[in-house]
Amino acid sequence: MTKVLNFLDPLPIFSAALMGLALWLIFIWVPTEINQGAVQRILYFHVPVAWGSMLGIFVVSGSSIMYLWKKNEKWDRLAVASAEVGVVFGGLMLLSGMIWARPVWSVWWTGEAKLTTALILFFIYVAYLMFRAYFPPGTQRQRLAAVIGLIGAVNTPIIYFAANLWTQAHPPIVTGPAADAESSLGSDLGTVLLVSTLAFTFLFIYLVQIRYKIRKAEDDIVELKRSAGSNPPVVPVTPDQAATTEARGTS
Amino acid sequence: MVIAALLVAIAGTTLLTGTASAQSGTTISGIVVGIDTDADGRLTKFAIADSSGTITTFEVSDATEYGLENQAGDRWVSSQGEQPVEVARRLRDHRERFAPVTVSSENGIATSVVEREEGKLETSLGYLFAVFAITWALFFVYVLYVGRKQRVLQHEIARLKGASHPAK
Repeated sequence: MTKVLNFLDPLPIFSAALMGLALWLIFIWVPTEINQGAVQRILYFHVPVAWGSMLGIFVVSGSSIMYLWKKNEKWDRLAVASAEVGVVFGGLMLLSGMIWARPVWSVWWTGEAKLTTALILFFIYVAYLMFRAYFPPGTQRQRLAAVIGLIGAVNTPIIYFAANLWTQAHPPIVTGPAADAESSLGSDLGTVLLVSTLAFTFLFIYLVQIRYKIRKAEDDIVELKRSAGSNPPVVPVTPDQAATTEARGTS
Repeated sequence: MVIAALLVAIAGTTLLTGTASAQSGTTISGIVVGIDTDADGRLTKFAIADSSGTITTFEVSDATEYGLENQAGDRWVSSQGEQPVEVARRLRDHRERFAPVTVSSENGIATSVVEREEGKLETSLGYLFAVFAITWALFFVYVLYVGRKQRVLQHEIARLKGASHPAK
């Protein structure tokens, strides 16, 4: 089996270096925003993790399409790995947004469009993973999971444009094609946001990569068990070993 | 784990949020969360939620003065006696924009309602710390979870390979 957590791998090293640079920029380099003060720095975490959660569902839906088309297990593995990392990013997006809203809006949560659509995205991730966990293994599960992944993709552009479509409390889009000139960030703030987003993107890729390898290992185990079933082991197994194997097999 | 953290946050919100009535000679900053008008659309009372989540209700009188800015930053100055309907409209606008206001009151009756004066936003470092601490704690826990899972799988693969290809 390929070692999953390889700390000599250039990707985690690069991610860590970029994250260190982002933290230095966030806390030392960038000036404090005039209107919101120190809490505005939460933006440099909130926006990148929100981007990560949307990237996650994009990868899930892309992989789902590829799986439905090619029927290759690697796409299914990529989808589930991306969904699991995406739910972590999605949860952080909601938590960081709530903590930012408390001092700025005086409320933890409000039912406005951007927040509601982001919460729906989180629930789609949860539904996807719960479905995979509880539905019996097999091709049917992978097909249906792929369909759930595709439904999640429909929500992504709605989240992105929500602040512009329904003008409410959430700050307007500050980056990307839909950002207007008035709401765009200044050069310093924009630079920090860009570096932080890059850092979290690489972190996302790294986490998906290690989760993919684990999924591959799980599939290998199923395959080994299947082949072991057709060729029973010659080596005698003690009752304790058998019990441990059973417990691992069902976990 | 993430769901549990969200539930804890929501429960904390519920526990921390309270209500209060305005005391004599107080100044409170917060966002407008409730507006009451009479049949003619004139403002009769309104409610403010401060940074601790406490909701305070204020009555208004003809002497209540207002100094409120619209989204473009233009300041509008008037009083309850002069423009009671416009006052309600302006406060609704503030409520929709989550624009904070500062209310001075005497015995529960608002004497002035103005744009939020210097608040505690600049020193709200606790919130900033909370975001960074939660973010990194979650990532580290996730990496630990992945690492542990990997070890279990490695043992399982080694055991299965050993079982199917026993040493001769």
